[in-house]
Amino acid sequence: MKFKTIITSLTAITAMTLGGVTTASAESTLDIVKKRGHLRCQVGPPSPGYYNLDSKGNWYGLDVQTCHAVAAAIFGDKDKLEIQSVSSQMRFTALANGESDLLSRTATWTMSRDTQLGLDFLQPNFYDGQGFTVRKDSGITSALQLKGAKVCVTSGTTTELNLADFSRVNNLNISAVTFEDFNVRDETYLNGGCDSTTGDKSSMAGNLAAFPVPSDHIILPETISKEPLAPAVRHGDSEWRDIVAWSIFAMINAEELGVTSANVDDMRANSDDVNIKRMLGVEGSLNKGLKLDKDWAYNIIKQVGNYGENYEAYMGSGKLGIGIPREGSANALWTKGGLMYSPPMR
Amino acid sequence: MAIVKTEKTPAREAPLSETTIIGWMSKNLFGSVFNSILTVVTLYIIYLTVRDVWVWGVADAVWVADNRRECFKISIDGACWAGVITWMDNIFYGRYPREELWRINLGAILLFVWMVPLWLPRVKAKVLIGVTTVFLYPFLAGYLFAGGDKGIFMQVMISAAIVCLIGNTLHSIIGVLTGSSLPEFLIRLLGRQDAPEKSQHKILFGILAVSLVVVYLWQMGWHAEGVSWTKWGGLFLTLVISGIGIASALPGGIILALGRRSRLPVIRVLSTAFIELFRSVPLITVLFMATTMFPLFMPEGVVLNKLVQVIIAVCLFNACYMAETVRAGLQAIPKGQAEGAHTIGLGYWGTMGLIIMPQALKHMIPNIVGSFIGLLKDTTLVSIIGLFDILGMLRSISRDTPWLGLHKEPLIFGAILFFLICFAMSKYSRHLEVKLSTGHKK
Repeated sequence: MKFKTIITSLTAITAMTLGGVTTASAESTLDIVKKRGHLRCQVGPPSPGYYNLDSKGNWYGLDVQTCHAVAAAIFGDKDKLEIQSVSSQMRFTALANGESDLLSRTATWTMSRDTQLGLDFLQPNFYDGQGFTVRKDSGITSALQLKGAKVCVTSGTTTELNLADFSRVNNLNISAVTFEDFNVRDETYLNGGCDSTTGDKSSMAGNLAAFPVPSDHIILPETISKEPLAPAVRHGDSEWRDIVAWSIFAMINAEELGVTSANVDDMRANSDDVNIKRMLGVEGSLNKGLKLDKDWAYNIIKQVGNYGENYEAYMGSGKLGIGIPREGSANALWTKGGLMYSPPMR
Repeated sequence: MAIVKTEKTPAREAPLSETTIIGWMSKNLFGSVFNSILTVVTLYIIYLTVRDVWVWGVADAVWVADNRRECFKISIDGACWAGVITWMDNIFYGRYPREELWRINLGAILLFVWMVPLWLPRVKAKVLIGVTTVFLYPFLAGYLFAGGDKGIFMQVMISAAIVCLIGNTLHSIIGVLTGSSLPEFLIRLLGRQDAPEKSQHKILFGILAVSLVVVYLWQMGWHAEGVSWTKWGGLFLTLVISGIGIASALPGGIILALGRRSRLPVIRVLSTAFIELFRSVPLITVLFMATTMFPLFMPEGVVLNKLVQVIIAVCLFNACYMAETVRAGLQAIPKGQAEGAHTIGLGYWGTMGLIIMPQALKHMIPNIVGSFIGLLKDTTLVSIIGLFDILGMLRSISRDTPWLGLHKEPLIFGAILFFLICFAMSKYSRHLEVKLSTGHKK
């Protein structure tokens, strides 16, 4: 897996140095996107909750909604969008060489990525962390009891490294059993090949819900890593960065202000709240700095919905949701003890 | 004194082991105690396997359900084919707009119609039909699949393709019925069979030109909605990539092989270097190179989409493998053949085209089909670089929230599908071999 990492960074760096030279003087991303007539948004190979294909061939998921939100803000139409699925080895390259305008996939915001790959990470739209699943009848209630256990893990991500760190720091002597595909990892765990599986808690919750008998398994309370999953844009185009960042903030802010896709028309017409009026473009001129229409935030909320609605639909208990509880987690609004916090829109 | 046997030895019955099943079994399966034990044990293992597969895959399987949870409720140990069935459109057509699927189907039917004359008896000029399939059909199919605005060049090629398709079809119908070719038939229809050859040719060219113009005017009114390559996927994409790869591998391979055997040092060295470079790296590396490096070599503003990059990479890669297959075939032809050709006054191209290649290609069929099958299976690698070919689609099922974790059934379905396609290809190659090996009956 180290080989992959080297290749990834090498190609990204080559692309940046070569690509950077040629595109430095070129037009801004917003102009390019407007001229093209649609947004090119990059996701990854399907990943439950974040970006998925349905049986009709359409994309759906929390990160896909971010793409839709930016398209709605720019064009007033959330479907002026081309979604590209790029493998994780190529994700930063494809952004750097201009194939995509926006990276909206489960990329963990880390310092080295932010500072060395020529990217700007924005407001995380999901705070994840690594955890463990065990069988209920094993009697294990804490990750610290996993001494000498065999733990199934998918290779090639930070998950594997986190597990090794956790084992070393706590002197647990965990032996990792690695897999390329999470389906095979879970299959092995279910057949008794491992005592536990580890992965991001969000995806584990989803996978657990799909086990034949979900109630036989529990996710342990410990979270052993910080995984802020954030969209990213190319470094150096602040105007574009602002548009994407505030599209996400608008969704979070709308939830805080109680504006939903269902009541946004009513709010725009009748609300007395000056914060709502400013956000929806009834008052003030917040849109000017973004070079977008007055309706930009209204379009996002009307067509895509606020953050809470989307969380419910794809991460929560909606029909397509993977059932991760939001209360008490980092993904709750700051007013409810979480980390979802938008700077004031004024 | 001599011993002479005068009466005929009476014919004996064939041994039981050759005529009856029981006899055969007692000889081959239960010949000794050890064999009997082996037979019984093996039969038992086969029984266990088949029974388990049957119970899981058919008897306990769920065929209709809305999601995987429902499958579990109906039968917790059975296969959940409902997910595969729900995803069938995705598996075959990818994300192609559902109301435009007829375009893919039509493209497939046209290809079939185009190729049928190749298999019919009494049809002449089969080589020409084969060549037009490779060089004209792609334009017609390309427009059908991709749609969008057509430039002048595209319009001309589409018209040519349509004229050719109609001509092909008439030609083969006439061929099967009367044994003559379309031009002969047309001339006879016009009653000009006694005219000199030159004026016959003029008439034929006239007909061709008129039909081209008519078709050109006719197709100007068409407009197929553009479908972005990002929506291509499933078996359709797999067949597009491998189809183009197969169609270009043979011509490319022949050119490279001739280049490698050329007496001109520059051509020889270049061909050899090219072949060895591409043969010594794995396909996945070539694919990664193509998708990361091609964009950097392109002049600014020119953006090749990923599908084109992948197709170029697959074509180059397979042309190199094919070149070595072709070279092996050429090597097998004795030198005397070329010398013989020279003595009757044939030049290089005449020798190659008329004497060497036809013999060599016959020897190469098993290898060529082998690499085509390999190519078809290799194209599944494109799922790694983010294209949704059939493997990418099959793997996506296990990520779709209603079917989360459903990964065995789709892969088994894919395996069956691939087996059918590849088996059909190798069967066809056997058939070709038998048909063409007229001089070497074994």
